[in-house]
Amino acid sequence: MDNPGKTLQSKKTLGMSLLYTLPMFLITFMFISGGKPSFSDTTGTMAFFITFLGMNVLFFLMHYTGKTDRFRAVLFIVFALSLSFTLIKNIVDIRNSMSFSQADIVECKIPFCHLVIPMMIIPAAFTKSIIFPGTILGNFANISSMVVLWGIATIVLGRGFCSWGCFYGGWDDGFSRLRKKPLLRKIGDNWKWMPFAVLFMVAITAALTLIPTYCDWICPFKTVTEFEQVTGVESAAKAGVFISLFGGLVVFLPAFTKKRTQCSFLCPLGAVNTLSNKITPFTIKIDKKTCNECFKCVDVCPMFALTPDGVRSGNVSVFCSKCGKCVDACSKKAIHYGIKGIPAGTMKNFSRNIFLFVSFLFIAVFSAGSILFTVQSLLSLILK
Amino acid sequence: MADSFILGLSIGSACLVTCGMVMFPYFMAGSAGVRKITQDLLIFLSVRLIIYFILASIAWYFGQKVFTTGLLSKYLPGALYVIFAGLLIRYSIVKNSRKTCPAELAAKIDNKKLIPVFLGIVNSVGLCPALLLILTTGATKETVTQSWLAFLAFFAGSSIWFLPVPFAGKFRKKKVMETIGIFATGLAGTIYMIKGITIIIGGIING
Repeated sequence: MDNPGKTLQSKKTLGMSLLYTLPMFLITFMFISGGKPSFSDTTGTMAFFITFLGMNVLFFLMHYTGKTDRFRAVLFIVFALSLSFTLIKNIVDIRNSMSFSQADIVECKIPFCHLVIPMMIIPAAFTKSIIFPGTILGNFANISSMVVLWGIATIVLGRGFCSWGCFYGGWDDGFSRLRKKPLLRKIGDNWKWMPFAVLFMVAITAALTLIPTYCDWICPFKTVTEFEQVTGVESAAKAGVFISLFGGLVVFLPAFTKKRTQCSFLCPLGAVNTLSNKITPFTIKIDKKTCNECFKCVDVCPMFALTPDGVRSGNVSVFCSKCGKCVDACSKKAIHYGIKGIPAGTMKNFSRNIFLFVSFLFIAVFSAGSILFTVQSLLSLILK
Repeated sequence: MADSFILGLSIGSACLVTCGMVMFPYFMAGSAGVRKITQDLLIFLSVRLIIYFILASIAWYFGQKVFTTGLLSKYLPGALYVIFAGLLIRYSIVKNSRKTCPAELAAKIDNKKLIPVFLGIVNSVGLCPALLLILTTGATKETVTQSWLAFLAFFAGSSIWFLPVPFAGKFRKKKVMETIGIFATGLAGTIYMIKGITIIIGGIING
């Protein structure tokens, strides 16, 4: 009553945020329930409502508070953890172990992940075959649905896929948030080109050997998903590489630098998504008139996408994953989500609302299944 | 074969970076058109191929002499891989390491027609870590033909980088390409480092 203007403003914003959340509410309801809501089993019903409400509350808070990254990160990290949990639980249920044998490879029983995609292209073009031992149209982690989903996501979001769609990114994103301040500040700018060297090497080696070499030798996420059974020196060396890279690039370096080092220095799909950043309609814009060149955005950017020179000239590089950390950090609101063709500093809310709706839809669709499964499994464990 | 090709492919970029400073001015000099540059490039690559066949034969011959005893054949190739791979990684990551091309000597040649031949010779025998690695590979092969094939794959991988030289004047973002090439070299070094360690550990386990 003391300040009616403020109360009215809050109510208006609350109402608008609820209205903005309503379509997402309906869409996620359809997705999470699979179009056929069934509330016969108590644990399943509880898991459904926890997942469904959790997602929508985060989406609502993004709009209501105006902050993007802090709520995105919650869902993104939960997504990464739940995906690993889902994958490991499924694999252990089937094989009684996290490791796969040569027989599993021969029988094409390996779950597919999007990181294989850059290695498939050349062999597929020349040999008309897919070099990954997975199922093309199976029920669980099949190749065709993953390729289609990634293809649409990368065209629409560009490298935004790395912060809104990738089910591994949450690992190093999570570890990069452990410390308040980075211990290691000076990292050469050139290192951001490393994923292109990795992409080049794995694409060529995969084409020559017809083996997805990144999965076979490099992927750090084998540590938290599945790996080749250790039967000799070579498989032991591979396991050593997986664990070292996971420890170094996913755990320690992100924790020390507050940067997403695996995504920035190793991921070959990240390099491909960087290229698709050029065609996506969504971008991050800097309004030079409002910017006071404090470079807080440069400090917080986890993907090395911003440089002082870039900020001065109003340019965000193609390495941007549109996570929103810089947008949240800017006290002048000079850096904001934008749409190509619309000048910087104009239609900020419109652009942000459109981008958030599209990108959140992607992460909701990608993550719903694994989060629901994880919540249901955990509830079953607790209620037992 | 595949790892030799990859080694060639990765070092080819670094080779182009270090020798490009010498080769580009020569290839781009005067009013030479794409056709003339292509001819010179073919001479340069042919000379490299011949030298590599000679080196493959020599490496295999010495391999037969040196890797004869059980102990040497089990540990030495692995140890050499580790050492040379370490050098290759250092070569790629040390920002201020001196990367020079032996082809700088080409500037002293008066006969312009001989320059591509000379460039081919000095570029092939320059003792870079990658050449040491491929020499080790050649030396560990059972037959001379296998050694030739390994060098052929190395030649093919490294030569791909030289193919666009006639059009070099039209390149954009050379610096980015150089950076990616240098990183690729470091990755190839890492692959050989793991290969070397695997050979040594395999040797220890198998007695």
